[in-house]
Amino acid sequence: MAIFIDRDTRILIQGITGNVGAFQTRIMKEYGSNIVAGVTPGKGGQNVDGIPVYNLVTEAVREHAIDAAISFVPAPFAKNAAYEILSAGIPFLVLTTEGIPENDNIDIVRFAELTGNRVLGPDTPGLISPGRSKMGVHPQLMFKEGSVGVVSKSGSLSYEVGRVLTNAGIGQSSVVGIGGGPVWGTTHKEVLREFENDPETKAVVLLGEVGGKLEHHAAEFIKSHMTKPVVAMIVGRSAPEGAQMGHAGAIVEGEEGTATSKLKALKEAGAHMATTSHEIVKILQQMGV
Amino acid sequence: MKLLEFQAKKILSENGIPVPASRFIESVADLDSTDFPTVLKAQIPVGGRGKAGVVRVAMDKNEAKKIAADIFATKVKGYEINTLLAEEAMNIRDEFYICGLNDKESNRPMFITSREGGVDIELLAKEAPEKIMRKKIDPLVGLMEFDIRDMATGLGIPCDKAFVSIVRGIWNVMRRQDATLVEINPLAITDTGLVALDGKIILDDNAGFRCNDRMTEIRSGQEGRIVKEKSAPEILAEKYNISYVLLDGDIGIIADGAGTGMLTLDLVKDLGGIPANFCEMGGKAAAEAAEQAMEIVLANPNVNSLLISLIGGLTRMDQVAEGIDAYLQKNSCQIPIAVRMCGTKAEEGVRILASHGIAAKADLSETAKMAVNYGGK
Repeated sequence: MAIFIDRDTRILIQGITGNVGAFQTRIMKEYGSNIVAGVTPGKGGQNVDGIPVYNLVTEAVREHAIDAAISFVPAPFAKNAAYEILSAGIPFLVLTTEGIPENDNIDIVRFAELTGNRVLGPDTPGLISPGRSKMGVHPQLMFKEGSVGVVSKSGSLSYEVGRVLTNAGIGQSSVVGIGGGPVWGTTHKEVLREFENDPETKAVVLLGEVGGKLEHHAAEFIKSHMTKPVVAMIVGRSAPEGAQMGHAGAIVEGEEGTATSKLKALKEAGAHMATTSHEIVKILQQMGV
Repeated sequence: MKLLEFQAKKILSENGIPVPASRFIESVADLDSTDFPTVLKAQIPVGGRGKAGVVRVAMDKNEAKKIAADIFATKVKGYEINTLLAEEAMNIRDEFYICGLNDKESNRPMFITSREGGVDIELLAKEAPEKIMRKKIDPLVGLMEFDIRDMATGLGIPCDKAFVSIVRGIWNVMRRQDATLVEINPLAITDTGLVALDGKIILDDNAGFRCNDRMTEIRSGQEGRIVKEKSAPEILAEKYNISYVLLDGDIGIIADGAGTGMLTLDLVKDLGGIPANFCEMGGKAAAEAAEQAMEIVLANPNVNSLLISLIGGLTRMDQVAEGIDAYLQKNSCQIPIAVRMCGTKAEEGVRILASHGIAAKADLSETAKMAVNYGGK
C-alpha cells in the first residue's frame, strides 16, 4: 500500500490536451499511472496517447470509474474546473495550478469540504507512490519504492531529499507535495495521519519551511497521535523577516512563522531534527529503516 | 499589490464607506487653499506612519506649511515622501478596529474587530488577545445579516444602517474586487457618524486577469508616488519578475526551486558563509530565466562567489546551462562559480558548463562547501 494513490487508482486528467497536460500525461502513463480518461471542453472525442478525451467531467464519469483527478487547467479557469471535478463526486483532486486568486482557492477548499472530497494543492507538484503510480511532475528517477513517507511544501525540496534517500538505498512509500501556500487543501498534519495509518510506511520525513503555522499543527499531531518516527527539516532558517522566499506562503510574519519556533515545536513533539538531506539519511539509517 | 491610503479610501468610498473630505498636497504651496484644522498624511505604503511622524495635525496654514516641509524632507523605511493627503480633522468620540481578510488557519474569510481603534493590532493580539474578536464567514454562503449583528454586539454599538453598510462594503471589496486585506484602523464615531479615518487595502496580484483595467489604473496612480531607493539587482529582479531578496553577505545564490533555494541558503550559513541574496528562478523558460538570474545576482558588487543550486524536475538542465552559457559569453565574469546540477537532462547541462571550466557536481552539500571556500579567499 501507499497513501492516496496506488497501482490501481483510476485517474482522470483535466486539461489533458494543453501543452503541460499532454506532456505530463505521457510521462505519468509511461511510469505506470492508470490513466483512464481526460477532459478538455471542446476537445471531446479526441484522444491523447490512446486516452479518451471528454468535453465534460460528468461524461467521463459516466463511461469510467474514476478515483482521482489531476488538474493542469490555467489559473483563470481553475476554480470552475475544480468545482466540476468536486461536483462529479471524484474524491481526490490534485490541483497543480499556480497563481490561482486567493478567493478562488478559499472557495475551492470550502467546496471540497462540503462535498466530502480532498484537494491536494493548489500549486503542488502532486505526489508519487514510487514504482506504482504518480499524479504530478515528480522526476521519477529520483524515487524508488520503499517504506519512508515524505511530505513537503516544496516540490524541489522533496526531489532533493528523495534523490539522496534513493541514492542511499532508502525507498519511499509515497512522496506528497502539499504546495507553497498560503492556502492549502491538504496540510502536513493530514498527510501525517495517512502515513500513520498506512501499514507499509515505517517512518515519515516532514519537510517544512518558514511562514504560516502548518508545521505547528503537524507538531501537535505528532505529539498526540504519531507512533511512527518522524524526521523533520525546516528550510529558511536564515530568511529575513518580511521577505518572500519564492513561495507565496514563505514569509516570516510574527513569531510563529519563524523556523526557530517551528523547529522548537517539532522537537518538543518528539520529531528527529535534520538540517541537511544527508542528516535525514543518517537518522533513518540509525533507526534501521 | 498594496494600495496607497488615498487609493484605498477611494475604493472604500465607492463601496458605501464614509471617508473624510481630503485633497492632495504635492507641494507646500498647495496648502494655500486648504481648510484648517487639517490632518497631513504622507502617502507611502508602510504602516506606523503616525509613530514615524509623517501623520500630523495642523491647526493653521503656517503650522501646516512647516509640518508639510518637514514631512517632505523625511524618509520612512527607504521611501521618499512626495504626496500628502490633507484631510478634514474630525471630532472623534470613539474609535474601533475592523478588518477583513482570508484566515489561512481555517481557510475562511474573516472579520477581525476590536473596541480598541488606532492600535497596533499585532501588538494588541500579543498583549491583550481577549480584546480582539474574530468572525469567520462561510465563503459559499456569504456575509449574512446575523454576522453583522454579531460584530456590532461585540463592538458594543448599534447595528444600524451605517454599520451594516460599512461591513457590507468591506465584504464587497474583499470578494468582488479581490482584496486579500481590507483594514480600517480606526473606524471612528465622529460628529457626523461612522467614518473610516484610515484605510488599507491589498489587492490580489493573482486576480489581475479579471480586473486588469483597475490594476493598471492603480499602478499608474502609484507612479512617482512610491519612490524607494533600490539596489541594482532589486531593480533588475523587478524588471524580470524573478524572486530575489538582497542579503548582506558575499556568496551569490541562484536556485531553481523555492525549497531548495532556502535549503541552500541555510547550508551556506551553517558552513560559515554569508549569502549575498536569495534568488529563485521559478517556472519560467529555463534558458532565459537562468541568464536573467545571473545578471540580477551578479549586479550586486559584494558578490565574491556564486553558488547555483539546480535540481531538474520540470526545469531542463540543458536549457538552464544554455542560459548560464549565454550570460558568460556576453559578460566577463571574474568570480568563481560552483554549480550543483542533477535531474532532467543534467548530462547535457554538465557538458555545456564544462566548456567554461565549471565542474558541476551532483551533491548539494559538497557544492555549497566549494562556494563557501571560494568566498573565503
